[in-house]
Amino acid sequence: MEIILTALKNSAVLTGQLLLIILPLTISYEFLKHRGRGLEGKKWKILGISSGGLVPLITGVIIGLTYGAGVIIHSIRSSNMDKKEAFLIMLFLSICHAIVEDTLIFVVIGANGIILVVVRFFLAFIFTYFAYRWLFFKKSRRF
Amino acid sequence: MVEKEDTSVLVTFKKGLTNGLFVTLLMVKVIVPCYLAIEIIKHLGIIRIVGDVFKPFMKFFGLPGEAAIGIIAGYTINLYAAIAVLTPLHLSTKEITIVALILGISHSLSVETPVTEKTGVNSWMLSGIRILVSLLAGAGLNLIWR
Repeated sequence: MEIILTALKNSAVLTGQLLLIILPLTISYEFLKHRGRGLEGKKWKILGISSGGLVPLITGVIIGLTYGAGVIIHSIRSSNMDKKEAFLIMLFLSICHAIVEDTLIFVVIGANGIILVVVRFFLAFIFTYFAYRWLFFKKSRRF
Repeated sequence: MVEKEDTSVLVTFKKGLTNGLFVTLLMVKVIVPCYLAIEIIKHLGIIRIVGDVFKPFMKFFGLPGEAAIGIIAGYTINLYAAIAVLTPLHLSTKEITIVALILGISHSLSVETPVTEKTGVNSWMLSGIRILVSLLAGAGLNLIWR
Protein backbone atom coordinates (compact mmCIF):
# COMPACT_ATOMS: atom_id res chain seq x y z
CA MET A 1 0.00 0.00 0.00
CA GLU A 2 2.79 2.33 0.96
CA ILE A 3 4.47 1.86 -2.43
CA ILE A 4 1.31 2.83 -4.24
CA LEU A 5 1.01 6.02 -2.22
CA THR A 6 4.65 6.91 -2.78
CA ALA A 7 4.31 6.22 -6.48
CA LEU A 8 1.20 8.37 -6.69
CA LYS A 9 2.85 11.21 -4.79
CA ASN A 10 6.01 11.04 -6.90
CA SER A 11 4.14 10.89 -10.17
CA ALA A 12 2.11 13.93 -9.08
CA VAL A 13 5.35 15.84 -8.41
CA LEU A 14 6.76 14.78 -11.78
CA THR A 15 3.55 15.79 -13.56
CA GLY A 16 3.65 19.18 -11.82
CA GLN A 17 7.22 19.79 -12.94
CA LEU A 18 6.41 18.82 -16.50
CA LEU A 19 3.27 20.96 -16.46
CA LEU A 20 5.38 24.03 -15.63
CA ILE A 21 7.42 23.35 -18.75
CA ILE A 22 4.63 22.32 -21.07
CA LEU A 23 2.16 25.17 -20.52
CA PRO A 24 4.56 28.00 -21.47
CA LEU A 25 5.72 25.91 -24.43
CA THR A 26 2.31 25.14 -25.91
CA ILE A 27 1.36 28.82 -25.53
CA SER A 28 4.52 30.01 -27.30
CA TYR A 29 4.00 27.35 -30.01
CA GLU A 30 0.67 28.91 -30.90
CA PHE A 31 2.34 32.31 -31.31
CA LEU A 32 5.19 30.82 -33.34
CA LYS A 33 2.77 29.12 -35.72
CA HIS A 34 1.55 32.50 -36.89
CA ARG A 35 4.99 34.00 -37.33
CA GLY A 36 6.43 31.01 -39.18
CA ARG A 37 4.74 31.80 -42.46
CA GLY A 38 6.76 34.98 -43.01
CA LEU A 39 9.80 32.86 -43.78
CA GLU A 40 8.46 31.50 -47.05
CA GLY A 41 9.44 34.61 -48.99
CA LYS A 42 13.17 34.27 -48.43
CA LYS A 43 15.18 32.59 -51.16
CA TRP A 44 18.06 30.36 -50.23
CA LYS A 45 18.99 26.75 -50.08
CA ILE A 46 20.81 24.68 -47.52
CA LEU A 47 21.44 20.93 -47.52
CA GLY A 48 19.10 20.58 -50.49
CA ILE A 49 16.24 22.17 -48.59
CA SER A 50 14.69 25.24 -50.22
CA SER A 51 12.97 28.20 -48.64
CA GLY A 52 9.60 26.46 -48.98
CA GLY A 53 10.90 23.62 -46.87
CA LEU A 54 12.07 25.95 -44.16
CA VAL A 55 8.64 26.29 -42.57
CA PRO A 56 8.11 22.56 -41.93
CA LEU A 57 11.78 22.27 -40.92
CA ILE A 58 11.75 25.03 -38.33
CA THR A 59 8.30 24.03 -37.07
CA GLY A 60 9.49 20.47 -36.55
CA VAL A 61 12.77 21.40 -34.91
CA ILE A 62 11.11 23.70 -32.40
CA ILE A 63 7.63 22.26 -31.89
CA GLY A 64 8.09 18.60 -32.78
CA LEU A 65 6.36 16.06 -34.95
CA THR A 66 3.29 15.48 -32.82
CA TYR A 67 2.09 19.07 -32.28
CA GLY A 68 3.70 20.36 -35.43
CA ALA A 69 2.13 17.62 -37.55
CA GLY A 70 -0.58 19.88 -38.95
CA VAL A 71 1.84 22.56 -40.12
CA ILE A 72 4.42 20.06 -41.39
CA ILE A 73 2.03 17.90 -43.40
CA HIS A 74 0.23 20.94 -44.77
CA SER A 75 3.32 22.85 -45.84
CA ILE A 76 4.99 19.83 -47.43
CA ARG A 77 1.87 18.89 -49.37
CA SER A 78 0.89 22.39 -50.45
CA SER A 79 4.33 23.42 -51.69
CA ASN A 80 5.52 21.87 -54.92
CA MET A 81 8.64 20.31 -53.46
CA ASP A 82 9.82 16.96 -54.79
CA LYS A 83 9.99 13.72 -52.84
CA LYS A 84 13.72 14.10 -52.46
CA GLU A 85 13.43 17.35 -50.61
CA ALA A 86 10.58 16.06 -48.45
CA PHE A 87 12.75 13.09 -47.53
CA LEU A 88 15.66 15.35 -46.56
CA ILE A 89 13.40 17.45 -44.36
CA MET A 90 11.91 14.41 -42.65
CA LEU A 91 15.37 12.89 -42.20
CA PHE A 92 16.62 16.03 -40.49
CA LEU A 93 13.48 16.18 -38.37
CA SER A 94 13.68 12.51 -37.44
CA ILE A 95 16.95 13.09 -35.64
CA CYS A 96 16.38 16.61 -34.45
CA HIS A 97 12.88 17.64 -33.47
CA ALA A 98 10.99 19.09 -30.53
CA ILE A 99 14.35 20.34 -29.40
CA VAL A 100 12.88 22.55 -26.67
CA GLU A 101 10.43 20.16 -25.07
CA ASP A 102 12.40 16.92 -25.35
CA THR A 103 15.46 18.57 -23.87
CA LEU A 104 13.70 20.33 -21.02
CA ILE A 105 11.73 17.31 -19.81
CA PHE A 106 14.97 15.35 -19.50
CA VAL A 107 16.73 18.26 -17.82
CA VAL A 108 14.00 18.05 -15.16
CA ILE A 109 15.19 14.55 -14.25
CA GLY A 110 18.87 15.53 -14.38
CA ALA A 111 20.24 15.36 -17.93
CA ASN A 112 22.79 17.75 -19.45
CA GLY A 113 20.75 19.82 -21.91
CA ILE A 114 23.60 21.43 -23.83
CA ILE A 115 25.08 18.07 -24.82
CA LEU A 116 21.65 16.86 -25.97
CA VAL A 117 20.98 19.87 -28.19
CA VAL A 118 24.48 20.04 -29.69
CA VAL A 119 24.73 16.31 -30.46
CA ARG A 120 21.27 16.12 -32.04
CA PHE A 121 21.85 19.14 -34.27
CA PHE A 122 25.26 17.85 -35.28
CA LEU A 123 23.95 14.37 -36.16
CA ALA A 124 20.98 15.77 -38.07
CA PHE A 125 23.28 18.00 -40.15
CA ILE A 126 25.71 15.18 -40.91
CA PHE A 127 23.02 12.69 -41.93
CA THR A 128 21.08 15.19 -44.01
CA TYR A 129 24.27 16.36 -45.70
CA PHE A 130 25.30 12.84 -46.70
CA ALA A 131 21.80 11.91 -47.80
CA TYR A 132 21.75 15.09 -49.90
CA ARG A 133 25.08 14.30 -51.55
CA TRP A 134 23.98 10.74 -52.18
CA LEU A 135 20.62 11.74 -53.65
CA PHE A 136 22.33 14.37 -55.77
CA PHE A 137 24.29 11.71 -57.58
CA LYS A 138 21.45 9.21 -57.79
CA LYS A 139 18.75 11.47 -59.13
CA SER A 140 16.48 8.75 -60.41
CA ARG A 141 16.03 7.03 -57.08
CA ARG A 142 12.49 7.22 -55.77
CA PHE A 143 11.21 7.13 -52.23
CA MET B 1 -5.87 23.53 -41.36
CA VAL B 2 -3.56 26.42 -40.56
CA GLU B 3 -5.15 29.19 -42.60
CA LYS B 4 -8.16 31.27 -41.69
CA GLU B 5 -7.41 31.14 -38.00
CA ASP B 6 -8.14 34.00 -35.66
CA THR B 7 -4.77 35.54 -34.97
CA SER B 8 -5.67 37.78 -32.03
CA VAL B 9 -3.36 37.47 -29.04
CA LEU B 10 -6.00 36.30 -26.59
CA VAL B 11 -7.35 33.59 -28.86
CA THR B 12 -3.83 32.36 -29.58
CA PHE B 13 -3.02 32.37 -25.87
CA LYS B 14 -6.16 30.44 -24.99
CA LYS B 15 -5.48 27.91 -27.70
CA GLY B 16 -1.98 27.35 -26.36
CA LEU B 17 -3.30 27.00 -22.82
CA THR B 18 -5.95 24.48 -23.87
CA ASN B 19 -3.39 22.49 -25.83
CA GLY B 20 -1.08 22.50 -22.81
CA LEU B 21 -3.77 21.27 -20.45
CA PHE B 22 -4.81 18.64 -22.95
CA VAL B 23 -1.23 17.42 -23.22
CA THR B 24 -0.93 17.36 -19.45
CA LEU B 25 -4.06 15.24 -19.18
CA LEU B 26 -2.65 12.76 -21.69
CA MET B 27 0.61 12.84 -19.78
CA VAL B 28 -1.03 12.03 -16.43
CA LYS B 29 -2.81 9.06 -18.02
CA VAL B 30 0.59 7.71 -19.06
CA ILE B 31 2.79 8.75 -16.14
CA VAL B 32 0.68 7.47 -13.24
CA PRO B 33 0.22 3.87 -14.47
CA CYS B 34 3.85 3.64 -15.61
CA TYR B 35 5.16 5.01 -12.33
CA LEU B 36 2.95 2.60 -10.37
CA ALA B 37 3.92 -0.36 -12.50
CA ILE B 38 7.63 0.31 -12.16
CA GLU B 39 7.42 0.83 -8.39
CA ILE B 40 5.52 -2.44 -8.02
CA ILE B 41 7.88 -4.54 -10.15
CA LYS B 42 10.76 -2.88 -8.32
CA HIS B 43 9.21 -3.94 -5.02
CA LEU B 44 8.60 -7.50 -6.21
CA GLY B 45 12.18 -7.82 -7.41
CA ILE B 46 11.15 -8.49 -11.01
CA ILE B 47 13.06 -5.43 -12.13
CA ARG B 48 16.35 -7.06 -11.14
CA ILE B 49 15.61 -10.07 -13.35
CA VAL B 50 14.72 -7.80 -16.29
CA GLY B 51 17.81 -5.74 -15.55
CA ASP B 52 20.04 -8.81 -15.65
CA VAL B 53 18.57 -9.90 -18.98
CA PHE B 54 19.37 -6.57 -20.63
CA LYS B 55 22.63 -5.98 -18.81
CA PRO B 56 24.99 -7.30 -21.53
CA PHE B 57 23.26 -5.19 -24.15
CA MET B 58 22.95 -2.00 -22.10
CA LYS B 59 26.64 -2.18 -21.26
CA PHE B 60 27.40 -0.65 -24.69
CA PHE B 61 25.57 2.47 -23.60
CA GLY B 62 27.06 2.60 -20.12
CA LEU B 63 23.59 2.07 -18.68
CA PRO B 64 22.18 -0.30 -16.07
CA GLY B 65 20.01 -3.11 -17.46
CA GLU B 66 16.87 -1.61 -15.90
CA ALA B 67 17.16 1.42 -18.18
CA ALA B 68 16.17 -0.84 -21.09
CA ILE B 69 12.59 -0.74 -19.78
CA GLY B 70 12.67 3.06 -20.01
CA ILE B 71 14.04 2.97 -23.54
CA ILE B 72 11.44 0.45 -24.69
CA ALA B 73 8.67 2.54 -23.07
CA GLY B 74 10.00 5.63 -24.85
CA TYR B 75 10.29 3.93 -28.24
CA THR B 76 6.82 2.44 -28.17
CA ILE B 77 4.68 4.69 -25.94
CA ASN B 78 6.18 8.16 -25.47
CA LEU B 79 8.72 10.22 -23.58
CA TYR B 80 6.49 10.74 -20.58
CA ALA B 81 6.18 7.01 -20.09
CA ALA B 82 9.96 6.75 -20.35
CA ILE B 83 10.46 9.49 -17.77
CA ALA B 84 7.99 7.86 -15.39
CA VAL B 85 9.96 4.62 -15.68
CA LEU B 86 13.40 6.24 -15.45
CA THR B 87 12.82 8.62 -12.52
CA PRO B 88 12.53 5.88 -9.86
CA LEU B 89 15.78 4.31 -11.10
CA HIS B 90 17.87 7.28 -9.85
CA LEU B 91 20.39 7.39 -12.68
CA SER B 92 23.45 9.64 -12.78
CA THR B 93 23.66 12.77 -14.96
CA LYS B 94 25.75 10.91 -17.53
CA GLU B 95 23.33 7.98 -17.66
CA ILE B 96 20.27 10.21 -17.97
CA THR B 97 21.92 12.29 -20.71
CA ILE B 98 22.70 9.11 -22.68
CA VAL B 99 19.13 7.82 -22.30
CA ALA B 100 17.80 11.27 -23.22
CA LEU B 101 19.92 11.34 -26.37
CA ILE B 102 18.77 7.87 -27.43
CA LEU B 103 15.14 8.70 -26.74
CA GLY B 104 15.32 12.23 -28.10
CA ILE B 105 16.27 10.88 -31.51
CA SER B 106 13.88 7.96 -31.47
CA HIS B 107 10.61 7.95 -29.53
CA SER B 108 6.82 7.55 -29.75
CA LEU B 109 7.29 5.58 -32.95
CA SER B 110 3.67 4.46 -32.79
CA VAL B 111 2.51 8.09 -33.07
CA GLU B 112 5.21 9.66 -35.18
CA THR B 113 5.47 6.98 -37.87
CA PRO B 114 1.94 7.75 -39.17
CA VAL B 115 2.82 11.48 -39.16
CA THR B 116 5.85 10.92 -41.37
CA GLU B 117 3.78 8.59 -43.56
CA LYS B 118 1.35 11.42 -44.32
CA THR B 119 4.11 13.62 -45.72
CA GLY B 120 4.61 10.99 -48.43
CA VAL B 121 8.01 9.87 -47.22
CA ASN B 122 8.84 6.21 -46.61
CA SER B 123 8.20 6.10 -42.88
CA TRP B 124 9.44 2.58 -42.18
CA MET B 125 12.80 3.50 -43.57
CA LEU B 126 12.88 6.65 -41.44
CA SER B 127 11.88 4.76 -38.30
CA GLY B 128 14.65 2.26 -38.97
CA ILE B 129 17.14 5.09 -39.41
CA ARG B 130 15.94 6.71 -36.19
CA ILE B 131 16.39 3.57 -34.10
CA LEU B 132 19.79 2.89 -35.59
CA VAL B 133 21.02 6.46 -35.21
CA SER B 134 19.72 6.67 -31.65
CA LEU B 135 21.57 3.53 -30.58
CA LEU B 136 24.77 4.60 -32.33
CA ALA B 137 24.54 8.07 -30.76
CA GLY B 138 24.00 6.57 -27.31
CA ALA B 139 26.95 4.20 -27.63
CA GLY B 140 29.06 7.03 -29.08
CA LEU B 141 28.28 9.43 -26.27
CA ASN B 142 29.16 6.71 -23.77
CA LEU B 143 32.56 6.30 -25.44
CA ILE B 144 33.33 10.02 -25.60
CA TRP B 145 32.09 10.92 -22.12
CA ARG B 146 34.76 10.05 -19.61
